Amino acid sequence: MSGIALTPAAYNPVIPSSSCSLKYQKSFRVKTRVSLNNAISISSDPFVLELAEALEDSVATPKTLQKLRQSSSHSLLSTPWPSRKDEPFRFTDLSILRSSQILPAKTPTITDAHITVPPDSQFPCHVTIIDGHFVNSMSNVTEIPDGVYVGSLSNLDPTVADRVSELVSGFDGGDLFWSINGMGAPDLTVVYVPEGCRVVQSPIHLSYLSSQGSKEGSNDLIVSNPRVLVVVEKGGEVDIIEEFSNVEGNENECYWSNAALEVVIGEGGKVRHSYIQTQSSLSAHIKWTSVRQESSSTYELTEVSAGGKLGRHNLHIKQLGPDTVTELSTLHLSVGNQTQDLHSSLVLDHPRGYSRQLHKCIVAHSQGQAVFDGNVKVNRYAQQTDAGQLTRSLLLEPRATVNVKPNLQIIADDVKCSHGAAISDLEQSQLLYFQARGIDSETARRVLIFAFGGEVIDKFPYSSIRDRVRSQIKSLLDPSPK
Amino acid sequence: MASSSSLSLSLPFQFRFRRNNTHTLRNFTRVTASTTDIPLLQVNDLRAKIVESNVEILRGVNLTVNRGEVHAIMGKNGSGKSTFAKVLVGHPDYEVTGGSVVFKGENLLEMEPEERALEGLFMSFQSPVAIPGVSNDQFLVMAYNARRKKLGLPELGPLECFSYLMEKLQLVNMKPDFLNRNVNEGFSGGERKRNEILQLAVLGADLAILDEIDSGLDVDALRDVASAVSRILTPENSLLMITHYRRILDLLKPTHVHVMDNGKIARTGDITMVEAIEADGYETVSALT
Repeated sequence: MSGIALTPAAYNPVIPSSSCSLKYQKSFRVKTRVSLNNAISISSDPFVLELAEALEDSVATPKTLQKLRQSSSHSLLSTPWPSRKDEPFRFTDLSILRSSQILPAKTPTITDAHITVPPDSQFPCHVTIIDGHFVNSMSNVTEIPDGVYVGSLSNLDPTVADRVSELVSGFDGGDLFWSINGMGAPDLTVVYVPEGCRVVQSPIHLSYLSSQGSKEGSNDLIVSNPRVLVVVEKGGEVDIIEEFSNVEGNENECYWSNAALEVVIGEGGKVRHSYIQTQSSLSAHIKWTSVRQESSSTYELTEVSAGGKLGRHNLHIKQLGPDTVTELSTLHLSVGNQTQDLHSSLVLDHPRGYSRQLHKCIVAHSQGQAVFDGNVKVNRYAQQTDAGQLTRSLLLEPRATVNVKPNLQIIADDVKCSHGAAISDLEQSQLLYFQARGIDSETARRVLIFAFGGEVIDKFPYSSIRDRVRSQIKSLLDPSPK
Repeated sequence: MASSSSLSLSLPFQFRFRRNNTHTLRNFTRVTASTTDIPLLQVNDLRAKIVESNVEILRGVNLTVNRGEVHAIMGKNGSGKSTFAKVLVGHPDYEVTGGSVVFKGENLLEMEPEERALEGLFMSFQSPVAIPGVSNDQFLVMAYNARRKKLGLPELGPLECFSYLMEKLQLVNMKPDFLNRNVNEGFSGGERKRNEILQLAVLGADLAILDEIDSGLDVDALRDVASAVSRILTPENSLLMITHYRRILDLLKPTHVHVMDNGKIARTGDITMVEAIEADGYETVSALT
C-alpha cells in the first residue's frame, strides 16, 4: 500500500514564522545549581528534578560549557517527563528509563584493562569517546589538514573556540533529552573545518563506547551524555562516521546513552554523515542530531540502527538559505523485544531546496516495534522545493508492530513533493521466483530481507563500513547460519 | 499418429481409480520406473482452481510429454494455458482439485516448488518479477549451487562460476554487465525474456516450459531466444511452449501442437494444425475434436 497525501495549509496546525530565530535567548539568571526553592521547580516532575540534581553533581562544569549547562538546566526544569499522551512519545515506551534509578556515568579510568581500543580504527583519523569523555590516548587526529580541529573544546584555540561557542546549544526545538544531554555532557568534542577546506581523503571516525553498565535486573541505569559539534565553514567539506557500540564485556549490560550531535554547515559546505548504532540489547539509546544548513550546502545521512532495547533518533534539519540538498537514508532493525524509533523533522524556509528521505524498518520479532514520524515542512518562502519521502516497513512475525507517520506540511504553492508508505511481509511473487529456480523458501526469505535493508546499507560511502554493517545485519537476522 | 499415441496413455484405467489415485499411481510408477519408455511428464485429468476466488480454471487436462519432444500449447486468451504452466511449477495462487501429474516417475503435486525445479522442471515466467537488491549474478550463483548440491556436486564460489556464466551469457547474446544489474529491475521486456532463457541455460532442465517467451520480443530478439533454446535442447530433454504466434513455432519446430480451450486440451495435432488456426481461428479448430 502506498499513497500520496499532502497536508493542505488550512489544516496545518503549525505555521512557523519566517523569522524563526536560532539564537538561544534563554535567561541566564537561573542558577545552575538546582534548588528545590527555585520557582521553576514547582511545576517540575520529581523524577526530572532528581535526575537534574544527580547530573549537576556528577561533573564539574567546564568553563566553556557553562552557558550550555545553564540554558539546559533552565529548560530541563520546566519540562515534565514525557508521557504516552505526548504526541512525540505516543508509541515510544520510556519505562525502561523511568523505572530505573538514573546514575550519571563516572569519568572513566582509561587504564582499565577492560577498555581496549576499538577494533575498527582502519581510518587514520579516529576519535574515541567513552561515556561522553573524549579520550585523547585512544584517538588519532594527526593526519588532518591544517586548520582543521578535532578534539575537546577545552583545548581549542581561543579565537576558534569563541566562534564555536556561539554555535553551541543554538537550537530551540529540543526536548527533555536534549536538555539532559546539555546538562550532563562532561565535555564537548568539536570537529571544526575552516573555510574552503575539504577533508575528503579520509573520514573522521567517531567511536562512542559505553563502558559502565549494570547487570540485567538491576535497578540502576547509568547514563552518559556524549556531545559533539561539527562546524563546517563556507565551502568546507567533511565526512563523519558515528558509531555507537560498547566496550568488550559490556555487550549484555544495561546503560543509557543520551547523545547529541550538532552540525552546522556553512554556505556551499558539505557533510556526509554515517551513523551506526549497535549497542547492547538491554541498553537505551537516545540520540539527537540537529543540523543547520546554510545556502547551497549539502547534508547526507546514512543510518543503520539495530541495537538497544529502546533506540530513538531525533533528527532535526533546518534550512537557513536557498538551494540546499538534504538526503536521508535510514534503516531500523528490530530483531528482538525492542523499539527502534526515528522522529525526523526537516524544515524548509528558503527556495529551491532538494530533499530525499528513505526510511526502512524491518521488524523480525513478535514483540519488536518500529516507530517513524517523519515531518517535512515546506514553508511559505520555500518555493520550487523538491521534497520526496518514502517509508517502507517489513513485518516478519505475527504481532510485530510498526507505527509510521510520514507527513508533509506544505504552505508554498510552487513545489514538487511526494511521500509514500508501504508496510508488508515479503512479496509472495518474489519468493516464488526464487523457489522456481530451486532455491528453498528459507534461503529466499533471508536473501530478500537482506536485500530490503541493502538499499540503505549500500549508501554508506565507505566499503569497509558497508561490509562490516552487512555482516552485522546478517548475523542479527540469522543468528545461526547453516 | 505419434501425437495421439503419446497423449494420455491409459486414461480409462486412471479414471476408474481417481478417488485413491495417488496410491495407484505410485504403484504404477514403481513398476514402470525401470523401463526407459516412461514418459517425462504425464498429466491426467488435472483440475485446478484459483485459491482466492474459487474459480475453476483447469477442467481436466491430459498431456503426455516424452523425452526429446517439443510441444506447443496454443489457445485463446483465458483458456488456461498459463494457469496450466503455473500449476505445474507449484504456484501458490492455484489449488489442484483433482487429477495427477507424474514427472520422471514421481508425483509432482506433492513437491514444493523448489523441489520441482531441482527435479528438472523449469518455467520461464510470462512477466518475471523484479527483485531489487539482489544482483543477477548473485541470484544465478545461488540457483546454480542449489542445483549442484542436488546433484551431489560441491558448491562453487562466485569467481569459480564466472566463466561458466560468461559462456551462458554469450548464448543469449547479452553483455557481461547484465550480471551486475539487479534481477529484472529496470529490465526492458526483451531483457526480461532473455534473462529467463539465461537462467534456463545456466540451470538446465529436463522439461522447460516457456510461457509466452516470444511475446514482446522484436524479430532479432526472438531469433536470439529461439537459437539459444534450440542449442540448449538435447534428445534427452523436452520443451513445452505456450504461444500465440507462429514465428517461434517455425523456429523451434514442435513435434506436437495442442489447442487448449476452456481448461482442457481440446485438440492435438502437428505443426500443420497451426495453419488451420491461423486461417480459421481457435473456435473452429477446437470444435473439430
